[in-house]
Amino acid sequence: MSLKDILTPFTAWKRVARTPVTVRDPFNDRPGADRYRGFHKNDVDTCIGCGTCESICENEAIDLVPFKDPVSGDSGLRPRIDYGRCCWCALCVDVCTTNSLTLSNEYTWVATDPEEYRYTPGVDKKSWDENEKGWKKPEGNYEFYDLNRVAMHHLHPEERSDSFIEMVTGYSKEQAMTEADRCVECGICIATCPAHMGIPEYIKAVRNDNMEEGMRVLYETNPLPEICGRICTHKCETVCSIGHKGDPLSIRWLKRYIADQIPSDKYKEILNTNNLEVNDKKVAIIGSGPSGLSAAHYLRLMGYQVTIFEQYAEAGGMMRYGIPEYRLPYDQLDKDINYILSLGVEIKYNTRIGDKITLADLGKKYDAVFAGTGLHLGRGTGIPGSDNEHVYYSTDLLRKITAGEKIEVADSVVVIGGGNVAMDITRSLARLQMKKYGRINIIATSLENEENMPADREEVVEAREEGAIIHPGWAPQSIEIENGVPIGLHVVKCNSLFDETGRFNPQCSMDIKEYWPGKMVVQSIGQGMDMTYLSDEFKENITFGPRGRVQTNEYFQTGVGWFFMGGDIIEGPDVIHGIANGHKAAVGIDRYIQDKLNSKQ
Amino acid sequence: MQKIIQDIESRYSVSEKEIRRNNLCFLTIPKNQAISLVTYLRDYQGYSAFTLLTAVDWIEEGHFQLTYLLNNPTNYTEIGVRTMIERDHATMESAHHLWESMQTYQRELKEMFGIDFPGSPRVDEDFILEGWTDIPPYRRDFDTKKYAEETYFPRPGRETNDPAEYMKSKLFPND
Repeated sequence: MSLKDILTPFTAWKRVARTPVTVRDPFNDRPGADRYRGFHKNDVDTCIGCGTCESICENEAIDLVPFKDPVSGDSGLRPRIDYGRCCWCALCVDVCTTNSLTLSNEYTWVATDPEEYRYTPGVDKKSWDENEKGWKKPEGNYEFYDLNRVAMHHLHPEERSDSFIEMVTGYSKEQAMTEADRCVECGICIATCPAHMGIPEYIKAVRNDNMEEGMRVLYETNPLPEICGRICTHKCETVCSIGHKGDPLSIRWLKRYIADQIPSDKYKEILNTNNLEVNDKKVAIIGSGPSGLSAAHYLRLMGYQVTIFEQYAEAGGMMRYGIPEYRLPYDQLDKDINYILSLGVEIKYNTRIGDKITLADLGKKYDAVFAGTGLHLGRGTGIPGSDNEHVYYSTDLLRKITAGEKIEVADSVVVIGGGNVAMDITRSLARLQMKKYGRINIIATSLENEENMPADREEVVEAREEGAIIHPGWAPQSIEIENGVPIGLHVVKCNSLFDETGRFNPQCSMDIKEYWPGKMVVQSIGQGMDMTYLSDEFKENITFGPRGRVQTNEYFQTGVGWFFMGGDIIEGPDVIHGIANGHKAAVGIDRYIQDKLNSKQ
Repeated sequence: MQKIIQDIESRYSVSEKEIRRNNLCFLTIPKNQAISLVTYLRDYQGYSAFTLLTAVDWIEEGHFQLTYLLNNPTNYTEIGVRTMIERDHATMESAHHLWESMQTYQRELKEMFGIDFPGSPRVDEDFILEGWTDIPPYRRDFDTKKYAEETYFPRPGRETNDPAEYMKSKLFPND
């Protein structure tokens, strides 16, 4: 040891008179840095319990525990952190789909019970809950998933305004895989989908480029994927967790992408339906719309002999006779329908129940009957002039367009209605006008104002792009008739639709008037059901609820044991509810028939 | 920086160079030239301060990447000398004679990656993982989760719920 080594420690004494460079009082007020990663905070009202924080946590420090009852778009679960495992890396904060999870800059916490170090931020109150400083996901810096969806290509308005060809072109493989990559697989969407489709699973199949697996997932809950992949109301997308910070996943287009990739002749092989068993039980289905086809499909998979009775010349119900070809091309409709028929489902066209064959006849000949007869009857406005023979119902016109019947479209048209069907007929008639006259002159009007129009937003936007004029917020008063034909519609300003009690009670300013010329007026304010096939003997055993809807149990079984009903006449109206109802009714019919067999034994 | 890189390139076979900033660059050279270059930089180019030695496991390519990070305290520049060594029976020439602290880094790499530095003092002694019996834990084929599950007991009372399953059980149990 040298002399220097001995003397060095004493050199510290020369600093004894200097001001210390360290913090003077280390026991008080030593906050973490502004962006310090300290203890967790969670805004439980913003959090949706999607669980991406749990999935990303490398240390498995996070559990999802019940906080409240789940509702559509919120699992009701909230993350609980185990500080025995947390390393404060903040990946959970950065991946959070709602930005509800943050870290405070508090980093000191003393407790004698180790169990206290496992807590649910935002639920178990902590002193740092109101602490503004700490780690939050930096905005616009980096994202773990793309917040913008892959844009879907639509034909330009000029390309589509005189033609019924499909306007949405569909994703390429690269686009679909990029879009699928945005999914965090939380599964929040499943509960909101009426059919509870395995959405994260089929999106995963797209990501893995495994179309056959995707197809199997689709058919577990939905036998009409080409159709739903085009025209589903995609309620799932309204709750997508990614939609809280960015665009929701294009779930509908990804479904279409899967179905588009599989040619018809591969379906049976992929879905393993080449050799379905047949038992001796028979089920009749009235109507070949989505609910009827769905019920037929699942019943046939269970081995039942299924016969569909369809009043028109072709199958599909409103999907064929209500939805225009530019939204749902007939070849894609037929692809889904023909596969179901190819499973051995029999269909009798041009056969309306209630005419030669009655419901009672079906009850005798079949073990069970399912009716998905839909909403086919147009509802009228009842305003003066609406009984003129040149005032039409949208449902009738759409059906004629599908059937290829000639429609004498006028050079000026007014459509009354602001729902999706009103947009369908507006855009269809606009196309016919363009073909016939080379220009479009069509006005659609709704009682609801712009924000509350019942039609999907994209329908309104696209109708306008194509040249239709949409006037929301007007109440029709009378149709002007001259020489026996309509020449225009009188309207007044509609201010509100419902009164304080929520009752339908439109309030109008009668002095704010408009008159729109139109040689053709179309009413599209909703549809009604044709229940004439229900004779009095059935009505006695069936309970009717509000608005004339039949009451069924959760399996869509009516008071007449062998008679089940579903689709738009019970729930909806839309395709996906019909599919879900048909599936559930198929399960109910199976239970009904099996119970009957068991009770006989 | 450019000047010294040119000088190094004239003396050694530099297969890759990455200039990060005007005071930081990384040069990749063959294994058998690495210690020679490090010595040259220390003794002739003023890179007298040894900052660190570290490794990266490129398991797919079957090699480890070693980086000797050196600092020149007079002109405030840093050079990282990189070299690739075989992952199987990984061995590297020891450089403990250049800086005393080198032996600590080499001992750490022996323990965490299994890279041997024959002749380096105490290189075979436990460093921080006393009584370690598994494969070196920084190797990418070491399964941390599996090891943790086999070695430690889980904390009682942990339970979790899958959002989709939980919603199904509460909202549509019969569908």
